[in-house]
Amino acid sequence: MKILENLSHLRKGETALITGIHAPDSMRYRLQAMGLRTGREAEVIRRPRLGPMQIRIGSVNLIMRRCDAARVTISTQQ
Amino acid sequence: MKRLAIVGMPNTGKSTFFNRLTGSSSRVANWPGVTVDLLSANVVLGGNAVEVVDLPGIYDLHGFSDDEQVVRSFLENNAIDTIGVVLNATQLDHQLPLALQIRKLGIRPVILVNMIDEADQLGVRIDTGALSTALDCPVMPLSARHGTGFNDARDAITRELSAASAVSLNDLRDCLHADDELVAEAEALVSQNVKAPSRLVRKMTERIDHVLLHPVFGLPLFFLAMFLVFQAVYTLGTPLQDGVAYLLDVFRGLALEPLESMLPGNLYGFLVEGLYDGVGTVASFVPVIILFFFFMAIVEDSGYLARAAFLTDSLMAKLGLDGRGFVMILMGFGCNVPALMGTRVMRSRALRLLSMLVIPFSLCSARLQVYLFITTALFTASQAPLVLFFMYLASFAAAFLTALVFGRRLKSDEPFVLELPPYRQPALKQVLLRGWHEIAHFLRRASTFIITGVVLVWLLTHFPAGSTPGGAGTWASMLGLWMKPVLDPIGISPDMSVILLFGFVAKEIVIGALVAMTGLDGSALAGYLATQMDSIQAISFMLFILLYTPCLSTLATQLNESRSWKFAGYSLAWSLGLAWAVSFGFYQGARILGY
Ligand SMILES: Nc1nc2c(ncn2[C@@H]2O[C@H](COP(=O)(O)OP(=O)(O)OP(=O)(O)O)[C@@H](O)[C@H]2O)c(=O)[nH]1
Repeated sequence: MKILENLSHLRKGETALITGIHAPDSMRYRLQAMGLRTGREAEVIRRPRLGPMQIRIGSVNLIMRRCDAARVTISTQQ
Repeated sequence: MKRLAIVGMPNTGKSTFFNRLTGSSSRVANWPGVTVDLLSANVVLGGNAVEVVDLPGIYDLHGFSDDEQVVRSFLENNAIDTIGVVLNATQLDHQLPLALQIRKLGIRPVILVNMIDEADQLGVRIDTGALSTALDCPVMPLSARHGTGFNDARDAITRELSAASAVSLNDLRDCLHADDELVAEAEALVSQNVKAPSRLVRKMTERIDHVLLHPVFGLPLFFLAMFLVFQAVYTLGTPLQDGVAYLLDVFRGLALEPLESMLPGNLYGFLVEGLYDGVGTVASFVPVIILFFFFMAIVEDSGYLARAAFLTDSLMAKLGLDGRGFVMILMGFGCNVPALMGTRVMRSRALRLLSMLVIPFSLCSARLQVYLFITTALFTASQAPLVLFFMYLASFAAAFLTALVFGRRLKSDEPFVLELPPYRQPALKQVLLRGWHEIAHFLRRASTFIITGVVLVWLLTHFPAGSTPGGAGTWASMLGLWMKPVLDPIGISPDMSVILLFGFVAKEIVIGALVAMTGLDGSALAGYLATQMDSIQAISFMLFILLYTPCLSTLATQLNESRSWKFAGYSLAWSLGLAWAVSFGFYQGARILGY
């Protein structure tokens, strides 16, 4: 059985490939345009106990809440 | 007249480019989405008169936030000759899809690969010539901030403009190509034409963030930074303020007082003791305000605001807002109006309305003037800063309380995702322009609201003819008596109530009106104030001023931005009610405790 992993599960310093975004259309467009696109590699830069995470995708640094990161599915087996 | 629209993602340097191209000063800030109003300016390029329009930063043309709709409807409703697409050279992998979206609309854009200086430093090499051939439109590398490549870019725009004929884009959304294709195309273009290290290392930014975003020390450092800014404004501003007051006084003595014997008494009183002293007292606060905006501009331009959003988001989430909301509250400390307009980046209406409900409680620079004046008049030098600090706390408390009360009704599912720009050294030119912008802003307000307000207050406190100026029997005191049942319980004397009426229009009028009403200024006015209120009453008065309503402009902006009378009405009713309740609680409570 395959366990669906998402971006909010990653720990600081870990990287993974983005496999999809589970959000309504309008929200998905926004997240994709900000850099969260399928096939790109995401790295967790910061993950404080409280507050948003900092994610790096290529040249872009994003801060996002954990609940929003949970909408981004990833795959870690590379 | 030809038209050039400047489009690009937030924070790519559109405003910097716009300013360099047009020589005019739009505000520049290192914070995604600050360019909220459409700025335009006219220039002559190659013999053509050209209107240049700086559009708000957007991530893509599909979007649903108000900003994105603004850009879309601008492009659909205005004939355009060409579009300047500003891209960040260090993020072409991320930004090229937007350029392709625009390229496919049927307009030949000029692609401006900006921040080429940063790209060079980071070891990113871009073959703009090959990109230009592949896209069949000019692709120009430049640094809008330092000017490298700017002339070539301007020439390319000039050439495009004289060749182009205006196009209207209808049903823009239908023309958008499938995203996946565009992204694949962009990736191919980037991999062929851009050589970049596999991981861009911004050592400086990483090092600074290591400290400033520290999980434990980040937030305390943020509050310390805010405290230092206010401290600096206060300590640097007070002597400057005294200086301006002194100069105005010298001018009065040399040029105006000799007129006393020449003009009829009433006219002299009106012109000099009312108008000149009133507006002059307000003007003496201008240096403080400029300093304040000067520091704000530095903070904004450095990229720290996005960090503030990061640090405060978990607190704001509990209130139903997000980190951006906190940053808007901070910007509101300058002026509530642009802060309200800054909420356009939010997609969810509920979140936007909640933010717009909260922002007017930010202690803006106009209210700061009133407090500086009252605290210096009524409190000792050691008490005054504490009272001021208390007002800032009250401002936050009112904002948070409002969010708590209304957060449940205005719930949203808006994702909180924000780009973290690298730290940049604030550009001195921009910071100075910002100061100038504030002086101009003040002069505009002074010549309209403030003069009108001061004149009206003077009339109300000096008529009907025969009544003692500022005393019983004047129209003002009648108004005061009429409002007494409401204001007496919160410790505000009838004489002060007419001032509150005018403060409704703009807070700057408050001090000007005090001067005009009494015919006193400086220490004489401070003495008069002391007869009107003790320190408890003064704090109650200041709390009321803080909360009862922002100014008329803020109210109008709330109405414009929400497009809802109901919302603006609610907001006004809530703030009036809150102001009265808080002042009542404070005043009566303090009296019961025996103060
Ligand atoms: N190093 C470098 N910095 C630049 C350049 N152009 C702009 N900047 C900086 O980038 C930041 C953002 O510039 P803005 O002109 O405000 O960007 P904008 O695209 O108008 O931003 P929004 O109004 O938020 O959409 C500022 O700190 C500028 O000083 C450049 O060519 N090189």
